[in-house]
Amino acid sequence: MVVGMGGAGATAQRRAGAEAAGPSRRETARGLLASATALALAPLVAASRPAPPAEDPGRSSFDESYRGRRIRGIPVPAAGHEEGGIEWRITVDGRPLHLMRRADGTWLSMIDHYTSYRTPLEATRAAVDEIGPGQRLRDLAPHPFGGHSGAGTGEQAHQGGRHDVRA
Amino acid sequence: MTYVRKDVSTLTAGERRRFVDALLTLKRRGEYDEFVRLHIDFYTADGEHGLRTAHMAPSFLPWHRRFLLELERALRRVDASVTVPYWDWTRDRTTSSVPWTKDLLGGNGRRSDRQVMTGPFAYAAGHWTLREGVTDGRFLTRDLGRSAAPLRLPTRSELRWALDDPVYDAWPWDSTVRKGFRNKLEGWGTGSGSGSWKNHNRVHRWVGGAMLGGASVNDPVFWLHHAFVDLQWYRWQRAHRNHRYLPAEPPGSSDAQHHRVIARHEKLPPWDETPDQLEDVSRIYRYA
Repeated sequence: MVVGMGGAGATAQRRAGAEAAGPSRRETARGLLASATALALAPLVAASRPAPPAEDPGRSSFDESYRGRRIRGIPVPAAGHEEGGIEWRITVDGRPLHLMRRADGTWLSMIDHYTSYRTPLEATRAAVDEIGPGQRLRDLAPHPFGGHSGAGTGEQAHQGGRHDVRA
Repeated sequence: MTYVRKDVSTLTAGERRRFVDALLTLKRRGEYDEFVRLHIDFYTADGEHGLRTAHMAPSFLPWHRRFLLELERALRRVDASVTVPYWDWTRDRTTSSVPWTKDLLGGNGRRSDRQVMTGPFAYAAGHWTLREGVTDGRFLTRDLGRSAAPLRLPTRSELRWALDDPVYDAWPWDSTVRKGFRNKLEGWGTGSGSGSWKNHNRVHRWVGGAMLGGASVNDPVFWLHHAFVDLQWYRWQRAHRNHRYLPAEPPGSSDAQHHRVIARHEKLPPWDETPDQLEDVSRIYRYA
């Protein structure tokens, strides 16, 4: 294949100077709102989502057996990110499961990439539902903590840091 | 000279065989797995930082158009008669219709472990070992129709709902936007129930197994599905001739989407082409 594989480098190549045309006033207002601090925005965002369960599972660690697999999730403070930001360390039978976050606050995993779930726990259980018997996760995506376990075979070295997960 | 992408149900036995053989050749050479990897690497979600190109973004359509062209060029280097066929999932809707036949993509996964057991991409046939997967499973998996909680493929009217929207895409250009052709076709809905997956996303869900995950390219139906999605862009353009890819200009520095989506004249990573350049493919291929 002749495509370049340098995703991170290519991502950084942005065409500048096209802001002259500018967004409409309405877009500008919404943009300003959206770029307010996460802290100020949080109540607005929360109000626009389905009511979360009482114990705020979006921030609660979990460690349970689900369909014969050990699933663990630990929210940890996100280093170098906005105040209150957290990252998730998720494992299934000890192997890292990479989660991604949608703009509406829901979560999706590498296993189940076209559906999102309200909480990291729900996304992790849904991933387990789809992992076949006898199979284990391969650490395919970069882990948010910089580790690439190399558990798989033959993967290319991956440009890290593109898939940071934070809450 | 332009070539033709055909409805997979119309391929002759010879055309089916040549398409399959070209795929197996790319796989044997290791080229195919690069496509799997590229798709994984370019999945950036909209609740995170960074530029989105392939999903949850306006460039969902041109990105996959370019991705298909890349695969198609590789196939045609193997066999110049081959083009990527499309699967019209509004017509071929059962687990036994095309493309799930032994001479094309093979059938459903078996119940115990979802392993595809028939056709040229069955593990036992010896030509299709997964190397870039989300799990360490070496065989292709499917769960057509999702046996545990059955769902249906998107309907013609659901597709029409997307095609009838004259606006290509709208702010905030992500998975939460409720209007615009792009997300209605890509298929991010609200909530978490069955109704939250539309069109493109719903088909990934319906096929299940490998197609559900980040390494969905491992199932060659990926290309047939995305050729049909690409055909919808072509149809939409013909139905709304005064409308084009949006955003026309990059979101400004005060916009939350600043540097997070590709505007019409920006290069679309990892390629050197822009959505503007990818809008018109009439000199490359057409759909039958």
